[in-house]
Amino acid sequence: MTQVEKKDSADTPVSPALHEPAPKRYRYLVVGLVTLLLAFLPLARPLIGQPFNYVMQMGIVVLMWIAMSSSWNLIGGFTGYISLGHNVFFGIGGYAAGLFLLYYGWSPFLTAPLAGLIAVAFGFMFGLITLRTRGPSFIISTIALLLMTGLIFDNWDLVGGSNGLSLPLPPFPIEVLKIPFYYAMLVTSIGSVYLGYRVAHSKFGLALRAIAQDETKAEVAGIDTRRMKIAAFSISAFFVGAAGAIWGYSLSYLRPTVFFIIGVAAQMVLMVIIGGRGTVAGPTVGAILLVALNEVSVSQFGSSELNIVITGVILLVVLLFFPSGVVGTLRDRSRLPAFLDWD
Amino acid sequence: MALLQLQDVNSGYGYGPDILNGVSLDVEAGKSYCIIGPNGAGKSTLLKTVAGLLKPRRGQVLLDGAAIGGRRPDLILAAGVCYVPQDRSLFPEMSVRENLVMGAFLETDKEVVKERMDRVFEMFPVLEDRLNQRAGTMSGGEQQMLALGRALMIEPRLLMIDEPSLGLAPQIAEQIFEIIRRLADLDITLLLVEQNVLRGLDCTDWAFLLDLGELRIEAPSDQILDDPRIRELYLGRQRETTWQPRAGGGVS
Amino acid sequence: MTQLIQVVILGLLLGGVYALMASGLTLMFGVMRIVNLAHGVFIIAACYVAFYLFRGPGWDPFVSLAVSMPLFFLIGVGVYSLLFPRIEGSPRFTEMTVLLTFAVALIAEGLLAYFFTGTVRSTDPAYKTDAIRIADFFIPTAQSLASITSLVLLIALWAFLYFTRTGYAVRATMQNRTAAQIVGVNVRRVSTISFGIGMALAGASGSLISFLFPFFPARHWQWIAILLALIVLGGLGSLKGAVVGALLLAVMAGIVSHFFGSTWSPMTFFGALFLILLIRPQGLFGHQARVG
Repeated sequence: MTQVEKKDSADTPVSPALHEPAPKRYRYLVVGLVTLLLAFLPLARPLIGQPFNYVMQMGIVVLMWIAMSSSWNLIGGFTGYISLGHNVFFGIGGYAAGLFLLYYGWSPFLTAPLAGLIAVAFGFMFGLITLRTRGPSFIISTIALLLMTGLIFDNWDLVGGSNGLSLPLPPFPIEVLKIPFYYAMLVTSIGSVYLGYRVAHSKFGLALRAIAQDETKAEVAGIDTRRMKIAAFSISAFFVGAAGAIWGYSLSYLRPTVFFIIGVAAQMVLMVIIGGRGTVAGPTVGAILLVALNEVSVSQFGSSELNIVITGVILLVVLLFFPSGVVGTLRDRSRLPAFLDWD
Repeated sequence: MALLQLQDVNSGYGYGPDILNGVSLDVEAGKSYCIIGPNGAGKSTLLKTVAGLLKPRRGQVLLDGAAIGGRRPDLILAAGVCYVPQDRSLFPEMSVRENLVMGAFLETDKEVVKERMDRVFEMFPVLEDRLNQRAGTMSGGEQQMLALGRALMIEPRLLMIDEPSLGLAPQIAEQIFEIIRRLADLDITLLLVEQNVLRGLDCTDWAFLLDLGELRIEAPSDQILDDPRIRELYLGRQRETTWQPRAGGGVS
Repeated sequence: MTQLIQVVILGLLLGGVYALMASGLTLMFGVMRIVNLAHGVFIIAACYVAFYLFRGPGWDPFVSLAVSMPLFFLIGVGVYSLLFPRIEGSPRFTEMTVLLTFAVALIAEGLLAYFFTGTVRSTDPAYKTDAIRIADFFIPTAQSLASITSLVLLIALWAFLYFTRTGYAVRATMQNRTAAQIVGVNVRRVSTISFGIGMALAGASGSLISFLFPFFPARHWQWIAILLALIVLGGLGSLKGAVVGALLLAVMAGIVSHFFGSTWSPMTFFGALFLILLIRPQGLFGHQARVG
């Protein structure tokens, strides 16, 4: 039996030069167009009419997941270090901005970047401790971090313990209340995807891919793997934290069960894997697909237990049969449409 | 019919490139062979492919005419092919005795196992001295002897040894080569990979030269060094040169 | 002082059960480099088996243990054969196992929640609240029985590994997979059996846990986090480490629980995890630079 040579981009991220990229102008055009459409969407409120708030909410949710999964991709996709507790930063950002609002009256729309930076600081400290080892110990430590943080927040009076905190509503009329959140998430998601794009096309990104492929060889080649890993992990916390800040505000309450449950981490991981680990467009594709799927399945089945089962089954199927995800598999078969080729 | 035949075999690691490129060779029963060649030539890859640790991507590996390419390593061992890897691959937490017993894992008759162990002790008395020592704490030379002893516990038809003298002090390496020469004199078919070309050729009847995954030269061990192509392969194309081979030949 | 000793005794008793839970997990890593994130959910599943066998036919959890172990062994063999041979040659194997078992855990949790709902359960055998009194100390019967059972099972595991041919093959595979292959061990078979054994141990643990801790489907995340922390502390793949780590941490968790309340006892495990990662990343009995 001969060995089948399969280029599996989940395991061997392909550097940009190895396949024919679509003409850059075309890609920028499509992406720019879509972004413009998204930016002007709220103005179409009279046209959309009654389902407007639903559309806005969908937009907020999708954009938030795009932001978070694109960030997760930096450490889980490019560097190949699976973080199963990444929503720790989601919660830290959410609570930080919420606390700033409650104590100083600062709007989370303004403090979101600060919340992101606080998340980065935590990521840095955490990375210092846990990125000294390779492989399984890191993954295990991220799970521990998540549960530990959840436990702390559940029992900490300052943040309201398991009851959480209530946040005041933003000072906008109720009909257009969702619009500022929509724009905030739009900016966050564009930032996150753009960050992914820049990292992918940088020397830093190349170093990360080297680490993902073979860390020993990367070290031998002179790459300071520890520094790179910590940098990637820290940076990947920023937009997750910012998204958390905005999301908490949009809910008007903060509770540990919103931020610190493993289900949130599972979604991030799933979106990136379905979309295509290590690709720039993958997380976006995965986020859109999964949110759509969730909407459909919730409307069909309602109950949340079967949702978990479906999530797990999809993850299993993708891992076993399409490990490169949508974008990766399409690219391997040279069928990737140009507008999705952002690598 | 040759004991072992490789026919146009390609092989490599993981998703990486082909290390072996269309290698064909025959190994006759009872004879001893040495594979020489520069680093990266594919010598270890060849042994691993025969042992079943790598699947051939193309071509066939035949043992007594039956295809063994891609089969499970333990089944290939059961067919009588024994592989001693470069890193010796011992069981570090197990004692010498346990390592040897594991060598005869497929043999269920305790009497036979005991017999074989006695024979191994005859050949490697130092192992009997260190019977209960943990393999991971032994010196390089002792580990190599244990690895060879373990291989003999199975009474192989084909014994493949990958760089036995690697990392050993010269005197210890000498001892190992002595043992290998004794093994070659027995009925076992021996396939040896050795960087120490001189000593490797000394112990064997026949030699294969591998370079860049291809078989370049096939010749009796005592003649292969006289082949002019050797110089080219090891030293590059020569014009006029004042380089004189040292007494006994070989590469400096 | 009496109180402290009491806490330590309780900790040691619980430690035995933790050791049983962790041993299956570390065995899987040692033999096959698999990080089984689904270990916790299968323990919980075994809890439900014990629960319904207790509620229905009235079987004592120690009896349902005899059912759970072979049942989960077979489940383990099935799950292993279905999933892992596919990804065997993968360059980032251990990582893949994390993701795969993560998916399995999600599926299992969802199914458990769907069929059994999220109601908190536990089995209530008669001895649950009994205790023996020795001098000034109370030795709870339930924990003692569970601990003794764990000890028996761990000894059985040890005997298997050191006195049977297959056990030798398992140990050999743990120490050097390549070497095992070249001496004739069928590592595929050994891996399947080891996974089955690991699951059987999970099944046994579940029966014991069913009356020691209340359970519900989502509880498995806390268990797996604790168990994973435990085996990292002990050294991934080291059974000795799992036992020592379990006893140590259970006692410490008991002390923490006593002084700070039981909500904080999981923190002991997490704190220990981060501490060991700082000081000695390979764990107490692990080997240097275990590349996943």
